[in-house]
Amino acid sequence: MDARGTETVDMMLNMGPQHPATHGVFRMVLSIDGERVASVRPHIGYLHRGSEKLSENESYGQVVTLFDRLDYVSNLNNELAFVLAAERLMGIEVPERAQYIRVLLCELNRVASHLLFIGTYALDVGAMTPVMYTFRERERIENLFEHVTGARMMHNYFRIGGVKEDLPDDFAARVRALVGELHKGVEETDRLLTFNEVYLARTRGIGVIDARTAISCGLTGPCLRGSGIAYDARKDDPYEVYDRLDFDVPIGEFGDCWDRYWVRVRECYESLRIVEQALEQMPEGETMAPGRRIVRPPKGEAYVHCENPRGDIGVFLVSDGSDKPYRVKVRPPSFCNLVGLEPMLKDAYVSDAVAILGSLDIVLGEVDR
Amino acid sequence: MAEQNPEQPAGNAAAQPSEPAEARPARREPAVQIAEEVLNERGERTATHLERIASDAAIESGGRDEMPWVRVEPDRLPALARRCRDDAVLKADMLHCLLAVDYVDHIELDYVLFGVGSGHRLLLKTSVPADNPVAPTLTHLWEAAAWYEREAHDLFGVTFEGNDDLEPLLLFEGFEGHPGLKSFPLHEYDEW
Repeated sequence: MDARGTETVDMMLNMGPQHPATHGVFRMVLSIDGERVASVRPHIGYLHRGSEKLSENESYGQVVTLFDRLDYVSNLNNELAFVLAAERLMGIEVPERAQYIRVLLCELNRVASHLLFIGTYALDVGAMTPVMYTFRERERIENLFEHVTGARMMHNYFRIGGVKEDLPDDFAARVRALVGELHKGVEETDRLLTFNEVYLARTRGIGVIDARTAISCGLTGPCLRGSGIAYDARKDDPYEVYDRLDFDVPIGEFGDCWDRYWVRVRECYESLRIVEQALEQMPEGETMAPGRRIVRPPKGEAYVHCENPRGDIGVFLVSDGSDKPYRVKVRPPSFCNLVGLEPMLKDAYVSDAVAILGSLDIVLGEVDR
Repeated sequence: MAEQNPEQPAGNAAAQPSEPAEARPARREPAVQIAEEVLNERGERTATHLERIASDAAIESGGRDEMPWVRVEPDRLPALARRCRDDAVLKADMLHCLLAVDYVDHIELDYVLFGVGSGHRLLLKTSVPADNPVAPTLTHLWEAAAWYEREAHDLFGVTFEGNDDLEPLLLFEGFEGHPGLKSFPLHEYDEW
């Protein structure tokens, strides 16, 4: 209460769960002091399907299909996390060809995921055109996936010990053509958007998070790299054949929305570089390790983490020696990145709330599991 | 299969629970194998530092590949976690994951800690009894702990002492029970 006997109370503003800018069923309650956000309370769980619990009742091979449905725009990267965990527990040597196939497809999936982000984020901050371009490019990748795995999104292509089947005959030629087209496509959007005056005004210096807070909140992926920390599971804990591939880890400078965007754009170029190298180095041979069809990992536990387009996905797998996992825990990158929303939104303008939320690039299927 | 089990509709075979164990014909179950736990060179390095810090609190220790683990009593956990975070070598500054595993008679809590800059990965384990699952909070050390703890409270009913914000996160308000527990039924619903 001030001297005149009047009292100031924060206004509550509800956003979501049905809101086009929340990219799914996400709700946040903003507490507003004038034009500024005083605090935020995110509410999640609208899409909770109990994937972890369901996994305990499926055989190991079937769990892969559940992982497809976690982060439904980077399905292959999710599948990889689970099969890696099971393989680590069982000590399976995956044939080299299968490893290269996985890496190649995962990187294409990363580009597809980032393209979705670039397009929808531009929409969030008011640019209508880029989404048309990025979805056109994304379509090409989906078409290739359909050609390889039989599905555009829920692939169920990775197996414990390898991949479902070898690549189609014309794969190499198609990928070479695709990489060229994608490079042009990403560049087009990049030129259109990145240094656009209006876009910069909407994203530069907005939603700043410093590296220390980012680490404490458990941010990973482009959200952490945007704050200047070059942490990338592909470099720090190389899995599959990433240690044989030459690529850079782009980082940002200030940890604002633009930095997080810019990191993703440059990651697209890096991913395309990896795709080219993987195609070049890919040996002939088997695509599946010899083994029994019913997977029975020995009793024990394993933790695997790998780089999803959104950050570090972790899988903690506990086996009791039977053909079903005893416990599967997913560390979903979007879930952890959302913890960073509160420090980012603190004292931000209400009009920037959408821009800040969008820059985290959350996928609610993964947040809620 | 559908003809043999008239009660079980063919279309929904995957969603139904598998037949109860008694009804199954006697089948030779393969012997359960135990996974070998071997640390690699990097894990050994982390293990030596972890041992230096945790030697007085550790009940048990082990590890696989690059990730050693130590088991401690719940009340020793916050102090040990702080030491891991602030240690000059380990610098485990990120709480990468917190998970609960229900072993029916006790609930195990696993804290995965990562040193983002230092490259150390380690795991702290602690167990709480199933009938009184109370563990100390780590929210004062990592902001990330807040949501993990709410999730563990939702799904496993673990209460974190010192964390007074344990409102349901993944479940809706008023949901009865803790779906992560082994005792929580998975497939007891009617078809409609």
